[in-house]
Amino acid sequence: MIWVLVAIVVVVLAVLVIVMRKPHQEPGVASFRRHIDALSPEARREVMDRVRPPDSNQQEGQGN
Amino acid sequence: MARDLAIDLGTANTLVYMKGRGIVLNEPSVIALNRQTGEVLATGREAWQMIGRTPGYIVAVRPLRGGAITDFEITERMIRLLLQRVGVSRFTRPKVVICVPSAITEVERRAVTDAARRAGAADAQLIEQPMAAAIGADLPIDEPVGNMVIDIGGGTSETAVISLGGVVALEAVRVGSFDIDAAIQAYVRREHGIAIGERTAEEVKMAIGSAAPTDDESQAEVRGRDLMTGLPKTVVLTPEEIRFAIEDVVSSIIASVVRCLAKAPPELAQDFLVRGMYLVGGGGLLRGLAPRIERETQVPVKMSNMPLEAVVMGAGHCIEHYDALKTMFMGARRP
Repeated sequence: MIWVLVAIVVVVLAVLVIVMRKPHQEPGVASFRRHIDALSPEARREVMDRVRPPDSNQQEGQGN
Repeated sequence: MARDLAIDLGTANTLVYMKGRGIVLNEPSVIALNRQTGEVLATGREAWQMIGRTPGYIVAVRPLRGGAITDFEITERMIRLLLQRVGVSRFTRPKVVICVPSAITEVERRAVTDAARRAGAADAQLIEQPMAAAIGADLPIDEPVGNMVIDIGGGTSETAVISLGGVVALEAVRVGSFDIDAAIQAYVRREHGIAIGERTAEEVKMAIGSAAPTDDESQAEVRGRDLMTGLPKTVVLTPEEIRFAIEDVVSSIIASVVRCLAKAPPELAQDFLVRGMYLVGGGGLLRGLAPRIERETQVPVKMSNMPLEAVVMGAGHCIEHYDALKTMFMGARRP
């Protein structure tokens, strides 16, 4: 029984070490990246296609 | 479970975008009430047709002026009725993103969010109109380049420089296409001695109004009430007269664009010369306005593909990516 507990503790510690060794990303960087990605033309395509009349879909890609 | 909504609560028109579906409502921001009982008789297009043509006991009003709520109670009732029309009920409470002018005060901000919450929204967030317009006009605002958008609405005109998903410079004036209509009304009254209604002035603007001379100019016959005799009278208006009548309003809009250009950092200012500025909003459809702005700023001006829908499309995109874009909401940035 004691060996099972020791094994669990060892596994948990190993997982913690692996997680801690992963490169840490600043929350600000991740949030900004998500914000910018959500504003990309690809992300906006769905809304544009939903609203734009079907015949104007081919007219231009980025509005400029 | 109600689908979340984006609302462009404009002085002239209200547009509603439903998450996953697109624009589900596009109606004038007008409500008709029984003056004696306070009952709502009509909203939207039906109420708009009543403006200036109602018997004494009915009043058809626009509860928003200059992008601000002038009558809180009526606005709340109008929002509630509009939300009901798109399927919101007491039991289905959606999240709502509302586009408002950037120059809105704290009190006005609270009035809009309170009106939406009382009308059935579970949560109401606000987004600045020029930012929503830039998203909806499909400008590359995710890149580190200068994007300039001019949003001319019914009661406000806003110019913003946007880069990397944020507003860099902003200029807003509480002047819009309704001020153009009012200037036409005042001119006809002063110079021709006849009174015309709000809707007639708008029709004149759409028929022959322009900010600069254009190739296809014609005259317009206008019918109104003679101020001296009280009898119906017809006068003929020329495009030159209308340009003269609306010059102050047009100049003040262009002056705000120039001020915004002056606020932009030099690195972004050079982008405008290449990429141009984008016009959105119903006021941007005034003939000759784009070439006039182009002439006075020396920067190319382009018309957005869907000028009337750009703002609600931008807000619609925010409701589709609510968590990723919630930092753009006004409360998030100005606690």
